[in-house]
Amino acid sequence: MNASIRLRIENLDKTFTRTGKPSIGALRGIGMSIHEGEFVSIVGASGSGKSTLLRIIDGLLPASAGTVFVDGEPVTGPGPDRAVVFQHDALLPWKTVIENVAYGLTLARMPWTQAHAIAQRFVDLTGLIGFENYYPHQLSGGMRQRVNIARALAVDPKILLLDEPFAALDAQTREIMQTELLRIWQESRKTVLLITHQIDEAVFLSDNVVVLSARPGTVRSTIPIPISRPHSLNVKRQPEFLAIVDRIWNMIEAEVRASLKLAP
Amino acid sequence: MRNIYDFFEQDSRTAAVARILLSMLCVLLIWKIASLFVTNRLLLVPPEDVAQALVAEVQRGAMWTNAVATVTAVGTSFVVSVILGISIGLALASSRLLSLTGGPVLSALNSVPIIALAPLFIAWLGLGFASKFVLVLMVAVFPVVVTTEAGLRAADRQLIEAARSFNATSMQIFTTVTFPYALPFIVSGIRVAWARALVGIVVAEFFGSFAGFGFAILSASQTFDTARVLGYVIVLGAMGLIGSVVFEALERHLAPWRQE
Repeated sequence: MNASIRLRIENLDKTFTRTGKPSIGALRGIGMSIHEGEFVSIVGASGSGKSTLLRIIDGLLPASAGTVFVDGEPVTGPGPDRAVVFQHDALLPWKTVIENVAYGLTLARMPWTQAHAIAQRFVDLTGLIGFENYYPHQLSGGMRQRVNIARALAVDPKILLLDEPFAALDAQTREIMQTELLRIWQESRKTVLLITHQIDEAVFLSDNVVVLSARPGTVRSTIPIPISRPHSLNVKRQPEFLAIVDRIWNMIEAEVRASLKLAP
Repeated sequence: MRNIYDFFEQDSRTAAVARILLSMLCVLLIWKIASLFVTNRLLLVPPEDVAQALVAEVQRGAMWTNAVATVTAVGTSFVVSVILGISIGLALASSRLLSLTGGPVLSALNSVPIIALAPLFIAWLGLGFASKFVLVLMVAVFPVVVTTEAGLRAADRQLIEAARSFNATSMQIFTTVTFPYALPFIVSGIRVAWARALVGIVVAEFFGSFAGFGFAILSASQTFDTARVLGYVIVLGAMGLIGSVVFEALERHLAPWRQE
């Protein structure tokens, strides 16, 4: 890819200091870059600091050292150039689907008619047509995550950050949502960073998969995925797909077992 | 039979009204039957006598005088309690220091039977509106304070984080997340406050006033006019019921997601 670098992380450390207890190194020396329009996933065992990294990129947490750059500008806090899709559908229960999708726009003080029109576009894109006036509690988990994705896209971020967005969904819904995410990505041409613990999800969706080691999290390897897209869910049963999944699994297996406190 | 049963279990407004009417009918029936066995009219009078007494009170104009006295006192005091309660709750939720230092005082005041201080308030403020107003305020304000603070503190951390990630200011987080989240809590506090305010006003009027439902109940019981006592109690019960129904509906309207 010869597109420009959209997100660059340089030498990023994160240490959690606790009063009266030894501090915890969560991330150490993280460095990576993501090009414009790329889909990159970060996988790692629990304790690898994946979600911490995403929060630092979004500006919700400060880094202990190092810098995150978006289009060359250092990140100092949350900004309109980044939007997060959270694992738990962090939707406002007293607002309808369309109002939730427009939430980021109304916070930016956009007039309602304009915000509504934009929100409607992303309701259409994410397959929520007909559900505009439903409340979140009236929707299934998969539909709520569509609202979450639409809400993040509506603010037109330069980078879409996804924090294990399908972890709370059942296996079948998750598969469907993966293909949906791929379709939405292809239509919106966003730069996407996905955090996941599902290796097959990462391989299925991404241009590159970044594998983190655990405690402290460091970049162990960056694996390009040479499978052409668009593709269907069948690809998950192809030998070349399985080989990549297997390779990544081998990298993190020991740490996953360690995090479960099991002998290998 | 099955159909009737299903109808009463429905979640509609008509069914809710029907349920209230049904329970009133049951009370009236039991009351009527009981009055057939208890024939001492000092102890119990049948419902129709109470109805007659109420009509007589209305015709005499006493009902109106008492209603004006009670409703103005309890109404103003209740409104002030709600406003003051929400304000104190907001202050407590916004400052940890204030909550930690003021909290114990509030819970002490909340558990003291303030009703027992009624004679003292009357000694300080005299008979009439002022002492009623303060006594009702003292009993009604606490449920609102407690639920406001609890509701504001209960706000979902993930919703706040999502708002922060959209670059929301602290004021926007308050108006779009924390406060809407707390509203149904606050309304449930207001519902309790209304019930307590009604008890407060009656006690205040018992101890010292020249008009009001509490005054009327006291004077009727001193002349052993049981029908009149029960009549005014029913009027107070109706006020409590109306408040409860209204605030419950408001709570459901504000937090439809909690029902399922």
